[in-house]
Amino acid sequence: MSAGVAFARDLTRPTAPTLAARLWRSRSTYLAGAVCMAVSAVMLAPLVLSVSASLKTTEEASAIPPTYLTHLLSLSSYGRLWAYQEGLPTYLFNSGAVAFLAIAFCLILSIPAGYALARFPIPGREFFFVFLLLALIIPYQALLTPIFFMFASLKLTNTLVGLAIVHTTIQLPFSVYIMRNSFEAVPRELEEAAFIDGCSTWQVLLRILLPAIRAAIVTVALFAFITSWNEFLGALVMMNKGTAFTLPLILSNARQETSIGGTDWGMLQAGITISIVPCVLFYLLLQKYYVSGFLSGAVK
Amino acid sequence: MYATQRNKLIGLLYLAPAVLFVLVFTAYPLSQMLWMSLHNWSIIEPAKWVGFGNYVKAWNDRQFWTSLGFTLKYTLLLTPILMVGGYLLALLVSRNTPLRKFTRAVTFVPVVIGLGVSSLLWYWLFNYNFGLVNRFLVDLGIIARPLVWFGEDADRALWAVIVSIVWKVLGFGMLLYVAAIQGIHPETTEAAMVDGASYWQRIRMITLPLTYRTILLVTLVSVIGSLLAFDQFYLMTAGQPFNRTATSVFWIYLNSFPYLKLGYGAALSLILALIILACTIVQMTLTRRSHA
Amino acid sequence: MKLKFGAGLFALSALAVSLMTSAPSKAADLVMWERSGGNKGMVDILVNMWNEKNPDRHINLTYIPHAEMVAKLAQAIASGDVPDLMGMDLIYGPQFEKAGQLVDVTDQIAKLPEMKTISPGHLKVATWEGKLYGVPLYADVSALFYNKDLFAKAGLDPNKPPTSLKQLREYADKITALGGDIKGYYLPGSCAGCNIFTVGPLIWASGGKIESAGPGDEPLTGDIKPVLQWLRDMVKSGNVHESDRAENGETFHLQFGSGKVGMMGTGNFNISLARDQNPSMKFGIALLPGMAENSAASFIGGDLLVIPKGSKRVSDAVDFMKFLISDEVQVEGYAKALNLTTRSDMVDNKYFKAEPLVQDVAKALSVGRTPYTTTFFEQINSPQGPWLQMLQRVYYTDDDLDQIIADAKAAMKAIADQ
Repeated sequence: MSAGVAFARDLTRPTAPTLAARLWRSRSTYLAGAVCMAVSAVMLAPLVLSVSASLKTTEEASAIPPTYLTHLLSLSSYGRLWAYQEGLPTYLFNSGAVAFLAIAFCLILSIPAGYALARFPIPGREFFFVFLLLALIIPYQALLTPIFFMFASLKLTNTLVGLAIVHTTIQLPFSVYIMRNSFEAVPRELEEAAFIDGCSTWQVLLRILLPAIRAAIVTVALFAFITSWNEFLGALVMMNKGTAFTLPLILSNARQETSIGGTDWGMLQAGITISIVPCVLFYLLLQKYYVSGFLSGAVK
Repeated sequence: MYATQRNKLIGLLYLAPAVLFVLVFTAYPLSQMLWMSLHNWSIIEPAKWVGFGNYVKAWNDRQFWTSLGFTLKYTLLLTPILMVGGYLLALLVSRNTPLRKFTRAVTFVPVVIGLGVSSLLWYWLFNYNFGLVNRFLVDLGIIARPLVWFGEDADRALWAVIVSIVWKVLGFGMLLYVAAIQGIHPETTEAAMVDGASYWQRIRMITLPLTYRTILLVTLVSVIGSLLAFDQFYLMTAGQPFNRTATSVFWIYLNSFPYLKLGYGAALSLILALIILACTIVQMTLTRRSHA
Repeated sequence: MKLKFGAGLFALSALAVSLMTSAPSKAADLVMWERSGGNKGMVDILVNMWNEKNPDRHINLTYIPHAEMVAKLAQAIASGDVPDLMGMDLIYGPQFEKAGQLVDVTDQIAKLPEMKTISPGHLKVATWEGKLYGVPLYADVSALFYNKDLFAKAGLDPNKPPTSLKQLREYADKITALGGDIKGYYLPGSCAGCNIFTVGPLIWASGGKIESAGPGDEPLTGDIKPVLQWLRDMVKSGNVHESDRAENGETFHLQFGSGKVGMMGTGNFNISLARDQNPSMKFGIALLPGMAENSAASFIGGDLLVIPKGSKRVSDAVDFMKFLISDEVQVEGYAKALNLTTRSDMVDNKYFKAEPLVQDVAKALSVGRTPYTTTFFEQINSPQGPWLQMLQRVYYTDDDLDQIIADAKAAMKAIADQ
């Protein structure tokens, strides 16, 4: 740059702020900081209270008025949840396996689809894209009954694979959307070089693009996990055998658990806590990946 | 480099698995729903053809309109709160200081837990006897006696649900907005500061226009999600009082499952899908027009 | 890359495992469904007793969330994947019998001597057009529980419970006058099932009829208005706590045992519950009265044991039915657990003798009845249905009673006429 432009820039640099302006800025910084802390507290409070309630003794859990935090620590609620009917491990396994399968299906389907929609000159590309997003506007509750009968004839009811397919149906539009946007955001130079070297599109996808969209993969996986792990109605419709039930079904039973349909609050809290833990862990551990995945994938 | 004839075919092959999946597991059941909507079917008895009878029934069904009205009311109340609140929050935490990053992370935690779990949690918090919201409000002296949140007053129940949903999804919009705000080139803002623009003027003239697409995206997702709301009302209000807090999907669920009126439920679903489609098209047209 | 490979491997193995469907069960196992939110304790005891005696015909019991039970059963029958036998809320009997979805057991069961004294409510709903489709799995009956301590405090004779609605009101006024959080009565505001169980009998005892049995049958006939007026007056006079309004059934069983309610319509299950909750409270049981002096009625509820169409183990299921109504199970199963025996001739047993309250509540069986309709859930039990809406308008609004009755009638008729 010429000296003249540099000089002009110097002239237009903001001058040092006055004392009043500085004081005002530091006060608003403190205010902003305080608001941040308040927001964080409000966001965390319900979770902390719930976990605390799950650790209450049975008497304290049904006390009126309720106590904020538990006074004594007790695992009795977890004990009841653990031993409930087929046992908590069975339900955890079912929920986990279905979630895992749903993640796998979503990724296997949405990655190639995203790649195709982002890069390839497919005739009617936009139409296909909208078609894949179709499920977003349909209340999936109404689709469950036709799907159930289809699965009954395919012998897919009561299976983990069947339920995973239902979850994938719900989650696929969002996954395809994220994937397409992520692929579009990848600069094409890397692929150009690879093509010149004679790579096929499959090799390009596997070796170059997948690492580049790692963040989107994690995002899709996270949201597929959350949807599947917490899904209730599909599980209720698809599963008949107690041994195939998932965790949300048990939570729903906890609401009618004490004799003649009363709520076992302690067991409910324990169930809520156990439902929350994997989701939060998954999120915290992979935070740095999917945050950027979110940003590149969702915003263009 | 992709624009070859061969790649047209290869592209279709990559696309095929997803398209096939949606054809089999979404489009086909959807066509069955269309068939169901033209019949009366209770599963345990054979289906009876009624043509457009179910659609006429919906038109005359008072509960259908009550539910639709309530769903729209819920959407119209919730969406501005999420948009404005989420945006303000994003402005607050868009700088990358440790405290702000912490706040961002924490605000996103409710997003990653399930909607059912969140609803049960707030159902407990708003419970008349065992809930901590009542205890908190009484301790602070804001109310003298505990309030009945669910089952007594439809508006009070609505606001309780709104509180729980705002808690849960605010982080989602916030994060998208933060991404968009951080995507604005710093020189643009600096130039405005040099020109003497105040903070709020900068927001109005630069930040908002440049993050417009994100705002519209978040709004669209929020509107569709609200129109399809079900879990939170099923778990927290059960549609009470007097079915005034039963959303459209709740009414669909009732007909499709406990009442075993599957044909009617299917018709209601298709009507709702069309309404949502219309809303989406309207929103996207508005986007394109203001951008042009 | 390693992460991806490991993940892929895990995914494949999970796929393999999951393709083996759910946990294996022995081929000779009987699959049984039961709804959640019922008398789980009793059903567990009965199944355990059977399993001990029949190790080669072990029953595998699954509890289904009860709100979706009807839909799940319908789907199961239509898809052919049915349980071998199941427990079902008895009021759904007619709906499934009419649709031909249950196995007819008239020949095997109807003529057995034990069936002569079986609970009349259960028998009625297990029968369709003269054929029998099930036996009682367990019985609940509603009655008027009253707090003897509060009676004494209010200057009432603890051994003389009210015998008419008018008397009930007088007693309630006196108890409410004790002040504090103490109320004379209890009326659940958001629970359709609780209300049909405990307020329905008040209407029946007064000569009214509630449900519409089917197309063409008129609902809500008889002298209903005075009872509704009585209910409204109870609420308006402050005889019920304002928090009753939020009761959706989830804490119903805890109310009487709190010791703060003078009288309350509730069920036999509340005896041991109240004892556990409040061991020192003295209480008694009477019949739910109607308008007229010494009129009484009760709701017989509970579950039926039925065999869904398509079951592959019909004869084993019939054996289970015979098991349930056998003398030994009536005494060592039901009575020992202080549950009602489903046969009225078994009420006189050693366990009940030691527990007079159970004998008192068993008296309600003789004035008990069960509604008979093929659309019970939609008309009555649904939280979104006309029964609860009618009562909520009666309790909490000032709408004209005739209008309320007319609206509810129209809604129930519309449902029944489908």
